[in-house]
Amino acid sequence: MRQIRFENVTKSFDGELILNKLNLTIPAGQFFALLGPSGCGKTTLLRLLAGFESVDSGKIYLGDQDITHEPIYKRKINTVFQQYALFPHLSVFENVAYSLRIKKLKESVIVEKVSDVLKTVRLLGFESKSINSLSGGQQQRVALARAIVSEPDVLLLDEPLAALDPRLKEKVLIDLINLQDKLKTTFLYVTHDQFEALTVADQMSIMNLEGNIEQIGSPKEIYEFPFSRFVASFVGSTNFLEGVLRVQEDKMLVEVEGLGRFTVFSPIKKDWFIPGGRLFMGIRPEKIFISKKEITGFSNHLIGKVNNIIYYGRSTQYDVRLRNGKMLTVFEQNEEHFPQQEIDYYDQVNLYFQKENVILLDH
Amino acid sequence: MGVLKKIFREDLPFVFAAPALIWQIFFVYLPLFVLFLQSLDFRFSNYSGLLNNLFFNVIANSFILAFITATICLFVAYPVAYFLSMKVKRFKNFLLFSLILPSWTSFIVQVYAWIFLLQKNGPFNIILYKLGIISKSTHLLNNYFAIILGMVYCYLPFMILPIYTVLEKMDKRLIEVSADLGANKIQTFKKVILPLSSTGIMAGFLLVFIPAFGEFAIPDLLGGGKKIFWGSLIVDKFLMTREWGSGAAFAFIGILILLIFFTFFYFIYRFLIKFIRTKKLWGGYE
Repeated sequence: MRQIRFENVTKSFDGELILNKLNLTIPAGQFFALLGPSGCGKTTLLRLLAGFESVDSGKIYLGDQDITHEPIYKRKINTVFQQYALFPHLSVFENVAYSLRIKKLKESVIVEKVSDVLKTVRLLGFESKSINSLSGGQQQRVALARAIVSEPDVLLLDEPLAALDPRLKEKVLIDLINLQDKLKTTFLYVTHDQFEALTVADQMSIMNLEGNIEQIGSPKEIYEFPFSRFVASFVGSTNFLEGVLRVQEDKMLVEVEGLGRFTVFSPIKKDWFIPGGRLFMGIRPEKIFISKKEITGFSNHLIGKVNNIIYYGRSTQYDVRLRNGKMLTVFEQNEEHFPQQEIDYYDQVNLYFQKENVILLDH
Repeated sequence: MGVLKKIFREDLPFVFAAPALIWQIFFVYLPLFVLFLQSLDFRFSNYSGLLNNLFFNVIANSFILAFITATICLFVAYPVAYFLSMKVKRFKNFLLFSLILPSWTSFIVQVYAWIFLLQKNGPFNIILYKLGIISKSTHLLNNYFAIILGMVYCYLPFMILPIYTVLEKMDKRLIEVSADLGANKIQTFKKVILPLSSTGIMAGFLLVFIPAFGEFAIPDLLGGGKKIFWGSLIVDKFLMTREWGSGAAFAFIGILILLIFFTFFYFIYRFLIKFIRTKKLWGGYE
């Protein structure tokens, strides 16, 4: 197992810079997700690694080996494509056996390997079926089987679930996690869907629209401690309140115009924590408690008027207009059949949040 | 109301297809039937009279000519179609259009253009003379080479178009997938591109072979009528010697031979496709 390392990789298409001196290390044997908005260059990164495109400058390493200029068919890196791209003129068996036939392995070895892989993806008995007779989920599994049968060092997955319906998606995600657990191959999963990335990844990295990596970490680190406004708003949703940092004794406060002062807390001291400096306060919608009655025990309190209610089933979203005119989004778990208090449009509500749940972000 | 709706939804395609169908019945099948009656001529002597050396020679001549033409067309057309569909980004339609353009003029005009090019003291002669390949002006016409040249030239678009169409429609990512799975360019061509373009090759081969088998104008004009072909013999029988019965019989035998040949051809093709699909000689495919 070998790690992947991008070193100062630059790539442009038709004069448009897609990746600019990108550095990224993908640890060996992990399920690594690369998350970014459409058009951010994540697919380009993947195509460079697979060998479909060549870099303008920079180097790509697989372990200690420089593979920057190695031709695509020599790289031990296989790809599962977005729309599967199965060979329509071959049966399920021959699709999976493709890379083994190229290697000219013995027929008995091919049969054994293909059967093994088909068993792993639960497609035994489908060997002689034609591709067109399979469902989307089955085709997806054939594509997966075809990519892993030759035991590559790295498996690249380019938005492999984009064409599946949500329920099937969840199932396939679990399958993928189990498969990676079993194979221990490095999986690089490229997606713009934060739900997929958070679900599958051991480690994930967030790429912004300029093609730069904003943050690398476990899904929990990324979600709970985003480094930037971009990460905070791209992974999940976040309310931002702009304010000025104040320090009283050893307490940190943020003063927001028209709303007053809020107590905040940060486990790490950042060099931009300067008293009097402007910054953003980020609060996740599910970390705000909404109530019509006044309660105690929270570090921060706000008052607002309900402007919009969206019922999601398991939770309800409230858009609350604050005194300074800003909107705040709040998620509430629907824990009870008969809630003690029914919150309605234009009700005045109290919003509470703890200082530990505030994310401080650079201006 | 419901009936009208049903007619519109289900029967409308047939209504639109009707003119073509009626045309076929009156101008293809009916004349063929008349021809068939003509060939019988209330006796079978027209057919039995064909069983001689001349007949076999003529059929063989046409068959060989059609086969050579279709084969050369295939080998010339495939790279052109491949280049157009895979490599050309700009001016694709313009290039395709300029390839098709000559076939908008009549065959005869195209053939006369070749006669002009190949004749004594014609442009080809001058070029060859200037290059020092020939020492005095010679006839480049009236030989088998001239026939093949004319045939390939005239029928080439019918081979390029179907192959270009399948290559253009092909999912180009399959080439990437093949490379990703370890295949080099030649292996990818053999295992992916060629099998996936086989329908186009098949269609092109038929589109060239069938009319080439019946061709009479090009061999007559460029070959000087030294060799007798199926088409030219039928024309002779109908227009020169007025043996309509035996001419019709001759036409029918040719059609029959073509049918048998292509049925055979088709089954081999089906077998090949199935073999590529499953790598098994018999059965094993759902």
